[in-house]
Amino acid sequence: MKTIIHQCKAEILRMFRNPYYIFWSLFMPIVFYVIFTKIVNIQVPDKKVWDAHYLMSMTTFSVMGSAIMTMGIRIVQERKEGWTTFIKTTPLSGSVYFLAKMMGQTVVHLFSIIVIFIAGVLINGVSLPIHVWFLSGAWILLGSLPFLGLGALVGTMKRVDTATGISNMVYMLLAISGGMWMPMDILPKMVQKVGSWLPSYNFGNGAWEIIRGQSPELKNIAILAAYLLIFMVLSTYIRRKQEAV
Amino acid sequence: MESVVEITGLTKTFKDKNAVSDVSFSIKRGEVVAILGPNGAGKTTTMLMMLGLLSPSKGDVKLFEKDPKSKSVREKIGVMLQEVSIMDGLKVKEIISLIRQYYPEPYSLNHLIRITGLDQDDLKKRTEKLSGGQKRRVGFALALAGNPDLLFFDEPTVGMDISARKLFWQTVKELADKGKTILFSTHYLQEADDIADRILLFNEGKIIADGKPEEIKKKLSKQSVSFIADHTIPRKMFLELSYVSDMYEKDGRIYIVAEDTDLVLTRIFELKLQVKDIRVEKGRLEEAFEQLTTENREAI
Repeated sequence: MKTIIHQCKAEILRMFRNPYYIFWSLFMPIVFYVIFTKIVNIQVPDKKVWDAHYLMSMTTFSVMGSAIMTMGIRIVQERKEGWTTFIKTTPLSGSVYFLAKMMGQTVVHLFSIIVIFIAGVLINGVSLPIHVWFLSGAWILLGSLPFLGLGALVGTMKRVDTATGISNMVYMLLAISGGMWMPMDILPKMVQKVGSWLPSYNFGNGAWEIIRGQSPELKNIAILAAYLLIFMVLSTYIRRKQEAV
Repeated sequence: MESVVEITGLTKTFKDKNAVSDVSFSIKRGEVVAILGPNGAGKTTTMLMMLGLLSPSKGDVKLFEKDPKSKSVREKIGVMLQEVSIMDGLKVKEIISLIRQYYPEPYSLNHLIRITGLDQDDLKKRTEKLSGGQKRRVGFALALAGNPDLLFFDEPTVGMDISARKLFWQTVKELADKGKTILFSTHYLQEADDIADRILLFNEGKIIADGKPEEIKKKLSKQSVSFIADHTIPRKMFLELSYVSDMYEKDGRIYIVAEDTDLVLTRIFELKLQVKDIRVEKGRLEEAFEQLTTENREAI
């Protein structure tokens, strides 16, 4: 237990020291938020709902990004550089190492959520009942699990370049076709159809429902759970196969 | 004395090529053993298998009579591998503290700093900002962090400057004096000769010699007596002697290769041979090493 807390702390420290995290997971979502709620005039029936809706979009966008990218690329990098091999010679078990990464990442996600929520309040005076803030925050935190799974899957890639390239592309595709940048209903029908089955849409939609005073749809939960399962099984399977040298 | 390392019939095949073939040896507590051999001799592959990082195609590895992957073994070993960079984003002090707490009875941070020659400035640096030499020092500190009984160093001095090397071997000697078992691989003969009390000579994935540096040197290094003779000397005169292994002529000199050159000299004087400019040449380990490894290649 002591080990996992130490390990977790180290991972958190490393993430906060990473300038890419600050830029991509905090700065960029907030900039987008300003652009699409302050500068670009989007025709919406209710500006207040839009401000809250887009705040959720950007928070999920941020958390999804650091879950897929930071974790996945880190894992590839550490393996490539031999660090993972060194760790295997120490008493630290592989699962603790992995779990600490996941936990550290979750703490960082919590931090991102808080920062971006506060930015929403300061920039647009977004006001939601306290339990809605908590519920949406909790949803985003929990809903990030499938993306951590996707990060673990990225982590099975052999080269850092491939991992970076592919995870960037997947991240952007997921964000756009999941309605995180633009609301789903203004996207082409075809994209909407595919998008509704993507983890990103279901992740975002849960939060969008919560700020409208509803609960996430059962379908959202089921799809996210299914993705989590698929990603975990796949990444575990590939890792096992790679280790059997 | 109990054996700490027990290797039997270790074989590793990569795509039909044997990187290591049928290697067996055991190491007793407190021994300092060098795995010596040219590049590509299978030293690293053997070490990775000993550590459970690579599964052998055949054969068995036991450390402290257990599977090298078991946690109780991991708690007793310290490892420094080649080409391992250190996890980034942490300061040297932080990473050492992190690794220390994986172990039940680690060395104190201060002790680690002292024996590895890290200074206060290094400790505050982020690992990604370290030079190659500083990284090796940190790697050394991490290997020692858990106060291990058995140490593995794979080509430890590659990338170290002279002073770092000196300090490294001094620390290794101190650790050996404390009764730690140390196993290191190297392709520098001098290191094996200076530090180890036993050398496992590897070539082409096999152990071709195993013994004390002195024994290996004696066995390998061919010493010779050479002279200029006015008249021809029948080859039989020397070659029939048990301690003479070869006789040849080169650049107008006759060379008699023998295990014991004193006996050859005695013989020359006994026979009252008309020879002049007698020289005794002691083979150096470097030459022996080259000889052995090239001879072996020819044999295959």
